[in-house]
Amino acid sequence: MTAAFPYLSLIMLAPALGLLIILFLPHDSKRAVRWVSLISAAVSLLATLYVWQAYDRMAGGLQFVERTLWVKSLGIYYYLGVDGINLPLVLLTSIVLFTGVWTMWDLKHRVKEFFALMLLMVVGVYGVFLALDLFFLFVFYDVSLFPMYPLIAIWGSTRKEYGALKLTLYLLAGSALILPGILYIYFKSGLFTFDLVMLAKAGLAPDVQYLGFFLFLFGFGVLAGLWPFHTWSPVGHVAAPTAVSMIHAGVLMKLGAYGVLRVGMYLCPQGLIDWAPLFAILATVGIVYGAFVGLAQTDLKYVIGYSSVSHMGLVSLGLATMTLGGVSGAVFQMFAHGIMTALLFSSVGHVYDSTHTKMIPELGGMAKVQPRASFFFILAALAGIGVPCLASFWAELLVFINGFKVYPVLGTLALSGLVVSALFMLRVVQKTFYGPKNEKYAGCVDIRSSMIWPRAILAGTILLFGLLPRLMLDTITVGVAPLVELFK
Amino acid sequence: MNPVAPSDFVLWLTLAAMWLPFISFLTIFFITRTQLALSLAVSVSCAAVSLLAAWYLLLGLPAAQPPVEFKMLWMAGAEARISYGFLLDPLSRLMLCIVASISFLVQVYSLGYMAGDDGMAKYYSFLSLFAWSMISLVVAPGLLQLYVFWELVGLSSYLLIGFWHHKFSASEAGKKAFVMTRLGDLGFFLGIIVLLLHLGDLSILKLNAQAAAKLSAGLVTASAVLIFMGVVGKSAQFPLLTWLPDAMEGPTPVSALLHSATMVAAGVYLVSRLFPFYAASPDALMVVLAIGTVTMLLSSTMAMVARDIKQVWAFSTVSQLGFMLMGLGAGSYFAGVFHLTTHAAFKALLFLCSGVFIHHFGSNDMYDIARGGGRRLKVPMITITIAGAALAGVFPAAGFFSKESIMGALAGLPQPGWLAAGLAGAAMTAYYTSRLLFVLWFPRQIAAPHHEEHGHGEAAAHSAFGYWAMGVPLLILAGFALVLGFFGDGILNFLHWGRPPEFFHHVWLAPVSLILVACGIGLAWLEFGRKKAAQAGFLSRLPAVEALFANRWYMDAFYRCMLDYVVYGVFSRLFTLNDRRVVDGGVDGVCRGTVGGGWLLSFLQSGLLQYNLFTMVLIIALVGLYFLVMH
Amino acid sequence: MNSLTVYLFVALLLFCIGMFGLLQRRSLIGMIISIELMLNAAGINFMAFNRFLGPDPAVGQIMVLFIMGIAAAEAAIALSLTLALFRKLRSINIEHARDLRG
Repeated sequence: MTAAFPYLSLIMLAPALGLLIILFLPHDSKRAVRWVSLISAAVSLLATLYVWQAYDRMAGGLQFVERTLWVKSLGIYYYLGVDGINLPLVLLTSIVLFTGVWTMWDLKHRVKEFFALMLLMVVGVYGVFLALDLFFLFVFYDVSLFPMYPLIAIWGSTRKEYGALKLTLYLLAGSALILPGILYIYFKSGLFTFDLVMLAKAGLAPDVQYLGFFLFLFGFGVLAGLWPFHTWSPVGHVAAPTAVSMIHAGVLMKLGAYGVLRVGMYLCPQGLIDWAPLFAILATVGIVYGAFVGLAQTDLKYVIGYSSVSHMGLVSLGLATMTLGGVSGAVFQMFAHGIMTALLFSSVGHVYDSTHTKMIPELGGMAKVQPRASFFFILAALAGIGVPCLASFWAELLVFINGFKVYPVLGTLALSGLVVSALFMLRVVQKTFYGPKNEKYAGCVDIRSSMIWPRAILAGTILLFGLLPRLMLDTITVGVAPLVELFK
Repeated sequence: MNPVAPSDFVLWLTLAAMWLPFISFLTIFFITRTQLALSLAVSVSCAAVSLLAAWYLLLGLPAAQPPVEFKMLWMAGAEARISYGFLLDPLSRLMLCIVASISFLVQVYSLGYMAGDDGMAKYYSFLSLFAWSMISLVVAPGLLQLYVFWELVGLSSYLLIGFWHHKFSASEAGKKAFVMTRLGDLGFFLGIIVLLLHLGDLSILKLNAQAAAKLSAGLVTASAVLIFMGVVGKSAQFPLLTWLPDAMEGPTPVSALLHSATMVAAGVYLVSRLFPFYAASPDALMVVLAIGTVTMLLSSTMAMVARDIKQVWAFSTVSQLGFMLMGLGAGSYFAGVFHLTTHAAFKALLFLCSGVFIHHFGSNDMYDIARGGGRRLKVPMITITIAGAALAGVFPAAGFFSKESIMGALAGLPQPGWLAAGLAGAAMTAYYTSRLLFVLWFPRQIAAPHHEEHGHGEAAAHSAFGYWAMGVPLLILAGFALVLGFFGDGILNFLHWGRPPEFFHHVWLAPVSLILVACGIGLAWLEFGRKKAAQAGFLSRLPAVEALFANRWYMDAFYRCMLDYVVYGVFSRLFTLNDRRVVDGGVDGVCRGTVGGGWLLSFLQSGLLQYNLFTMVLIIALVGLYFLVMH
Repeated sequence: MNSLTVYLFVALLLFCIGMFGLLQRRSLIGMIISIELMLNAAGINFMAFNRFLGPDPAVGQIMVLFIMGIAAAEAAIALSLTLALFRKLRSINIEHARDLRG
């Protein structure tokens, strides 16, 4: 099915267009830069909402397909399409981009470069989610990684050069595994095409799948925060400026999990079956380990970083179950965790900007000083510990049920991580926001009215999909069902 | 009995009862928070409509009609299909009515109690959230919906216990409540998963009717015990009982709500809800009975030495919940539910009365209240006595009848030990209840009446409106605490769809337990009531035992140790060290190795082009030589 | 020993002298001269192969003309670089220009 109007290209290229316009704007026109970024993000968001609403859930499969031959001799196609798996993630990206740009409205330092790099990064993210051609997918993957370095190193805080360097090196090490993986599949399939759909039908030999999945698992797994390749994530999150943390933890980490799902599991189902026990063990260790390490942290952003490790472990566990419910839960968890973490970072960002500290022992009583920021943080924290009627609860429910079904021991262990994560999140809430009013910060202003909206959008999304999970799950299940058939 | 679909009227009525509190929560929290009067009006009127609907559903429908079930799909993810809807059978209708009534009364009472608090609108929105989650829990037709709202009940109590979160103890208590109940919920959730994977359908009606036939006995026992872990956490049973006394940090009306009809009652309700399922496994029932008995005895001893008026009632709640579980564990569905019903009335009353005292005197200590002239407050003083009589099990108050039915069930067991424990518990209950009442009634020295300052704005609190807002719910509840006992047979008929099972009456039981209760009261009279009494319990002569009881059998200390030394000290520290040193250290080591290698190799770069060229020529020559030799 | 081999040996000798000079001299002028020698060795090779083996005599001569042209251009650029370096360092000894030392 070919769409009449290339909505997917619009989604992807709106930020690119914004980027071009920004490059031609003079340096001191900060207002114009902000507006251009926000408008291009809004165009993407609107187009995404249209696609979300127009996607035919009865028919399923790939829709809004755009496919053009790009390099014939190499078999490279400009091939975009959405199904139930990447549609939620595109929606996630659009929401986080839009709210992230809005959150950074008050940025003063080198505004033009910041928004240009951010848009560039997002073009890459959209590209990875939408592309169905391995070549494009890989190129966009690297496009989304590189801007992280300047974004953190210039606008960051707390050991920013160290964090930026570590993150970039780690992720590039990951992509150094992905490229050989892609080429390996490319040559072994004998089709000489990068077309993902065609490659998936090629029926690769089991030993090719075995090695291929291994490369994809650890290549993409680095970005998904798979234990023990997770240490870049807290360090990077701590160093990054607010909106970058939002996009990074909210969206970029999902690229890794999406890569494992779309490239690894789609092309090498047999490989997953072989590697699944190891995958599940690493995931479970990540869940429990992240929660325990988070318990000992004193920096607010470190806490969120480790909670991300723990939550992304849930995504991995869901993928490793190879069941409809588990994989759907994992996709839902990617979405829910993205929104939730973005909200956490955007609230913490405000607290940090006004108090100039994010050390938990120095804070306290912030609920009296900044009730709005506190409300958003607490809501997101509650979503993080799996309170029902907030989005991530359903995802966790599905992952745990299927995790327990396939791996009873690991599932039980992972479940116990839930208690620890409740303990550490509530501890942070208590130490940071509760307690007597802190006179030291009495003068710190709360989030002002116009800046509530980005947070409110995120909070509203958490509530909406928490109260009506079918809105999300019905779409995801349509996309996951054919994939799961491969494991039978 | 096969369920039937609801008529339109019943459907909308039930949905109104379920959803109005939630609508009120949303409205207040997001829209009308700044307008206090409007918020209060919204909340109380929603609660009132919900109350009327609940009473109609209890009394307006014929008692013996088959269960009414309504479901729609809430979430579908492969195996796990969660439906949202309601199930109206005698048990849920009764419980719905209890929840709606208590939460309405508490909301009215709070109009007086919380007047002047600057977070009052938020408080009401949380109360509405609490009511919504508890009502949806009660009418849940499936175990998964029940679990969802079970967790939400936990969340609401976290928010309300920690409502005055500027106090460290309050936020700590909220956190403790949430985490400890979460610990129990782990088991509950595992139990649900086990059932889900083996049955595929978690409808409560089907579960009760078919589980025993479809599952092996071991599986039934295992899942029942796992689910019971959730009950242990929620209903504060041994060994997870210590969060409940700390939960007193919340506003007193919240304690009333928490202790009578919502949070802790949810646990007992779950066991009654799944009673046929539990009954299929004698071993699981035995676990319920044993945990209930241990909890009942332990917490009674704690109540005997507490000085804080709310602490006494908190421990008594724990022990009464133990009683209910004993009744259920002994195999009597009716006894447990009946005690749950009467307990809801008199325990809410006890807390609300204590709230008046605390509000008026600004102290939780019973001796302080007594010295301050507590007995001058006529309405609360009389109603607290009625409630106390009900708690102690004095004829003709409600508690006597319900406790008697539990004793009857215990007497039916082959081992006499359970009955002995139950009777001992009844005597202890009578002792600690009357101890508190005597201290209040017969203070040693009374201070002159005074109006000292305390927590909230006095002007509002002392107004006639505030007084009656707090007084009327007391009178209503006192009425219930007095007469509910006489409806025992009606409730029995109602619960069993008009066909109650054979109920074996032990004629000797009532006199025996009455005598024991009288002994307890008599002892309290000797020590606290009579003119020359020292107002010190016999336990004060045994300091070691008293310390043991007052420190809650050192359970809290044990948990503190576990948390500090095992969770923080071992796991958290070890993992963090591992993260810093091993994982991160390894990565940094690789980076340092790369940098060092580059530094070593840099010595090869002399900067003189000719060396490079020479190397090149040399290598080409060697390669050429190689090919020359090989071919 | 046929005459082609003689020419090739001469060219080899010339190339080796050039290579030796390139590696051994430290003065830029010396290195440029050595490069010229090597280019001429290539030119002799072309002419020799053309004369004895090539079917079409024109190709080799064209190549040699190209080499001569390139040599001239290269000499011009190289000398101007040398001049620039001399202006900067007051020396054309390349040991004084070791900025790329590791």
